[in-house]
Amino acid sequence: MIARPMIAVLEREVLKLLRQRGRLLSAMVRPMLWLLVIGAGLGAVQGKLGDLSYQAFLVPGVLGMTLLFGGMLAALSTVYDKESGVMRMLVIAPIEHYWIVLAKALGATLSALVQALMLLVLLGMLGYLSPQVSIPLLAVGLLGTALACASLGMLVAAWSRTLDNFATMMNLVIFPVFFLSGSLYPVQQLPSALRFVATLNPYTHGVDILKHAATAGPTVAFGADFDVGLDLAVVIGFSAAALAVAAARFSRDTANEPLVHRLARKQGD
Amino acid sequence: MTDVAIRADRLTKRYGDTLAVVGVDLAIPRGQFFGLLGPNGAGKTSTIHMLSTLIRPTSGEACVAGYSVHTQKLAVRRSIGVVFQDPALDRTLSVAENLRFAGLLNDLSCSEIKRRSTELLELFGLSEKRDHPVASLSGGMRRTLDIARGVIHQPQILFLDEPTIGLDLPNRRAIWRYVTGLRARLGITVFLTTHYLEEAADCDEVAFLSSGRIVRSGHPRALIEQLGRYIVEVETDNPAELAEQFAPRLGAALIEVDCVQFRCNKEPAELVSLQGELAVSARAVRWRRPNLNDVFLWVNQTGTSQKRAA
Repeated sequence: MIARPMIAVLEREVLKLLRQRGRLLSAMVRPMLWLLVIGAGLGAVQGKLGDLSYQAFLVPGVLGMTLLFGGMLAALSTVYDKESGVMRMLVIAPIEHYWIVLAKALGATLSALVQALMLLVLLGMLGYLSPQVSIPLLAVGLLGTALACASLGMLVAAWSRTLDNFATMMNLVIFPVFFLSGSLYPVQQLPSALRFVATLNPYTHGVDILKHAATAGPTVAFGADFDVGLDLAVVIGFSAAALAVAAARFSRDTANEPLVHRLARKQGD
Repeated sequence: MTDVAIRADRLTKRYGDTLAVVGVDLAIPRGQFFGLLGPNGAGKTSTIHMLSTLIRPTSGEACVAGYSVHTQKLAVRRSIGVVFQDPALDRTLSVAENLRFAGLLNDLSCSEIKRRSTELLELFGLSEKRDHPVASLSGGMRRTLDIARGVIHQPQILFLDEPTIGLDLPNRRAIWRYVTGLRARLGITVFLTTHYLEEAADCDEVAFLSSGRIVRSGHPRALIEQLGRYIVEVETDNPAELAEQFAPRLGAALIEVDCVQFRCNKEPAELVSLQGELAVSARAVRWRRPNLNDVFLWVNQTGTSQKRAA
C-alpha cells in the first residue's frame, strides 16, 4: 500500500544524490576541511583536550556536520519540489498527504546516511577512526542524528513557500544549529548561556551519541557530555514532534489551497 | 460501478470574496469525451481540482467514479489520472524513471510498470527517448510523456487541463492522436479543458463556463446549430450605428472593434441581397457557417450582458 510510494521517494532521493557529483564532493570536502584545517589549527593552539587530541575530538563533530548539512539540504529540497512538477505527482497520488512529509523525511535521512557512510570510509582510510569505536552505538548515532536533521529540515520546508530564502535558511537555521552544538567544543565547558542553548539543541544530542560511540573504549576526559539514554530520548522525541507538526501543516496546506492550484493560477486560470 | 463517471451537484468554490465556481452541475456518462470550455479565470481549473480532490469544495457534492470527493479522496485519486497545465514530471530523472516514479506512487509492481511503460512509450512514439533526461525533451514530447504519466495506472477517468497549451500545430495534432488512441484502447472517460475550441469539436458534450457558472451545454454540433445557419460579418467604420440599423431585421449583434456579427437563418439567396444593403456602409461583408468559436463568443456576450442587467 504505502511501501511502493515510499520506495519511489527514497529511490529518487538516492538517484539524485548519486547524480549530483558536486553535492557529494562538497559533502566530503566540507568536513575534511574542518577536521584537517580547523582541527589542526585550533589543535595547535589548544593542545590536548584531556588525553584526546582536538582532531580526534572533532571526528564525531564532522560526522554530525555531514548529517546536518546532508539531511537539512535534502529535506529543504522539498521546497524546490513544491515549485517543480514532482509535488504535483505526489499530491495526485492515491496516498494521504502526510505520507509525503514522512517519505521525504526518510529520503533525506537516507541521503544524509549515504554521505556519512562515505565520510566514514574516508576517515577510516586516513586513520581517524579509533579501533575502540562502538559499531552499534555509531549506527544508532548516525541514524538518530540523520533523522533529527531531516525532521528539522522538513519542519522548515513545511513553512517555506519559495527558494528565495534558501540562503537565509542556511544562515538562520543550519549554521546556528551547527555552532550552537557540541560539534566543535565540549558543551560542559561553554559559558552558561551558550551551554543552555546547546543543551536544548536536539542536534547536540545526536552528536553526543556519536561521541559516546567514538570514545566507547577507555574513559576519556572530554568525550560525551550527556547520558546516552537522554540523548536518544531527545533525538527521537524531537524527530517525532517535528514530523508530526510538519505533516499536519503540510496536509492542511494542501487541503486548503494546494500548491498545484496556486501554481496553476499563476498562468491565469 | 455506476454508469455515471462524474457527477457534480451545486459544486461551488469560494476564495475569500471571489466565487471561482458557482453551483456547477455535471452528469458525465462513462466513456464520454467531455469538454469544459471558457475564458481564462472562468473556473475551469478550480473545477478540475475539486473533482480530483486537490481542493475542498466550499459547498456542493461531487462523485467521481462513484466515490465522494469529500469522504473518499484516495479512492477517487486511485480512479483518475490528471494532466495539469504545468507538467508533473521530474526534469532531472529520465523518461523511464519518471514513469517508474509515477507507477510506484500508484502502487504498481515493477514488472507492471515495465510492461506499461514500454507499451505507452511505443504508443506515444517516445521509445527512443526512454533513457533521456526529461530536461532534454522538447515541449511537445514533455507534454506527451506527462499524459503517459497520467495514465500509467490505467485510470477510468482522465482529466486534461489545457493539454495542448503552448504547443505548435503538429504537436497538438499528435497529442490528440494519442488521446483518441487511449480512448479507443481503454474506453477511458476524458474530461478536457481547452482554449482551442476546434479541439473540443470532437467532444460528445461540451459545457461553457463563464465566471464560474455553466452558461450553456450540449453536443457541439447541436450548440452550433442552435446558434443559427450563418454568421454574417460586417467590417465597418460605424459598428454601433450599423448594429442598431439592422437589429430589427437581424437581431442583436456581436461587436468586436470594427466588426459587427449577426446570426442569421435566411436562405443563401436572401443573404446575397442583404449583402448588397450591408455593403453600402461597410468595408467588407462576409457570411459563413458558424463554429464552436462563435458559440463561445455569443455565450460570453450573453453572459456579460446578463451580468450588466443584474
